[in-house]
Amino acid sequence: MKIRILRPGLLSTIQDMGRHHFLSQGVPLSGAMDSLSARIANKAVGNRDDQAVIEFTYADAGFMAETDLLIAYAGDGMRLQCGPQILPPERPIFIPAGTIVQLVHNSTGVHTYLSVAGGWDVPEVLGSKSTCLAASFGGFNGRPLRADDVLSSNGHISDIAKSLFERLKNEQVNFSKWSIPTALLLPSNRKVIRVTLGREAGWFKSQSVTDFFSTPYQLNRHCNRMGFHLDGLEIIRTKKDELISTAVTPGAIQVTGNGQMILLMADCQTTGGYPRIAQVASVDLPLCGQLKPGDSIYFNEISRREAEVLYLKREDELSKLTTALKSIFL
Amino acid sequence: MFPAPKTVNSDKKMVAMKTLLKSDPKLPIYSLSDNAVTIEFGREISEGILEIITAFDQSLCQTPFPRFIASVPAYTSLSVFFDPVRVIQSDEMPGAACFEKVSGYLSQLHEKLENTTTDTGNIVTIPVCYDPEFGLDIIDVAKIHKLTVDAVIQLHSAAEYNVHMIGFMPGFAYLGGMTDSLATPRKGTPRSAVPAGSVGIAGKQTGIYPLQTPGGWQLIGQTPVKLFNVNRAQPSLLKAGDRLIFKPITRLEFDHLAATE
Repeated sequence: MKIRILRPGLLSTIQDMGRHHFLSQGVPLSGAMDSLSARIANKAVGNRDDQAVIEFTYADAGFMAETDLLIAYAGDGMRLQCGPQILPPERPIFIPAGTIVQLVHNSTGVHTYLSVAGGWDVPEVLGSKSTCLAASFGGFNGRPLRADDVLSSNGHISDIAKSLFERLKNEQVNFSKWSIPTALLLPSNRKVIRVTLGREAGWFKSQSVTDFFSTPYQLNRHCNRMGFHLDGLEIIRTKKDELISTAVTPGAIQVTGNGQMILLMADCQTTGGYPRIAQVASVDLPLCGQLKPGDSIYFNEISRREAEVLYLKREDELSKLTTALKSIFL
Repeated sequence: MFPAPKTVNSDKKMVAMKTLLKSDPKLPIYSLSDNAVTIEFGREISEGILEIITAFDQSLCQTPFPRFIASVPAYTSLSVFFDPVRVIQSDEMPGAACFEKVSGYLSQLHEKLENTTTDTGNIVTIPVCYDPEFGLDIIDVAKIHKLTVDAVIQLHSAAEYNVHMIGFMPGFAYLGGMTDSLATPRKGTPRSAVPAGSVGIAGKQTGIYPLQTPGGWQLIGQTPVKLFNVNRAQPSLLKAGDRLIFKPITRLEFDHLAATE
């Protein structure tokens, strides 16, 4: 299966679940900003969760099906459309060769993930297919997609994908009635982010910690795959020690010298020297991946144990989904 | 004709851990995230802590717990990443939560460390051309310190440096060991593009830019050696625990080495 990019959009990159084994060499994790949506898009075409997907940023992009396709998409950045027909998300979609697919704006989020049966076929670099923008390797030639790039799927597709393809194959665009609604896995209020206290939370004025948990913070325009700068009440430091740089990981909320906060995301540096007021619970990191400049968020404190239980519960639900798909389509 | 070995494996220094470890075996460990913990080995940057962290990291990588993913050494800490779904299922490690399981394992490993010796890593020789064509700021640096350019080169290349950690960008080494007499403030206005391989000074630190990037360091030279290359088994030339020597080379040697890299 093959597509040709007609318009690439703002930032479209190949991502998977990240590059985990080279952090000690300064190689950022990378991977899908909203890993949950990437996984749902993969599941919907019978892929493994960690197969390579295209991460689109907002809409204003389009592609042409060069062959018949079995694709799916998930995430809040856009909707797919063929002519006037809106293609619903979170389910397998059959697209006949020659069809032009447009990405149409959807104001709720930022990132949308396009999967193809078998996964997008790019070489694995350092154990991952994710694009490392900082060092220009991985993904599609180490760079964002451009117009006229041709992407192929990996020829080896799963038995579920074969079964879905046979069921949906048609003269025209066709999709399943069922879907995997990501919303069922998410909290009703997606602007409340659950966090655990950061290692240096005690370095700040107690009023600032209270403010952190009770007042809104807004993403300003300095937002990218490395992290988001947050505007809001200043976080005042009482302990003035210099923090000795240590490993950081996506979800860390650092406080800079002027009392502003940076929420680290997928492409963040592997080490950092700003004190950390909080760490986003892994289960809510995909929510952060859909935040955009201007969005207001609140932080809600949970315990380390609660964060772990929520994460394990999410993983359990996701693995049950795969089991269910297998039992239906195999 | 151009002797510039990048890595010399001989002359490894063996350290008995017993002499470095304090009697208190209790390890301060905190939760970094749902899938990582960080061990704090101390609060001061020192060669002794570097050796303990390097030894501990080697020991962990040789005898990892099930579903260990990666470790990240830093100045005074070691962070340990794992897969929570698998760790929680593991019966080999006691504890109700991943944090207890993993920190229990790491504490045990720490107790065993006392009876081990460790090699303190390779000595890596980095050839550097200090020609002002590459070292755009070396004349300024010399002036600031009232030294000749040759004296700056001599001071910079005479020291043996420790790689404390890799971070900031792929392959960037945080080096310890530069003489204070070369400490120079960053440039007032950063350059929009510093070439990969540039060797610079910022405050009390010296370092090598692995990739082309904007930067405000005072540039004193350039190495033709690739600090980061995804086609190597170890893409970062340097790793925490290595020792490093800068070896002055001529412009001719630079060109020759650049052609063979």
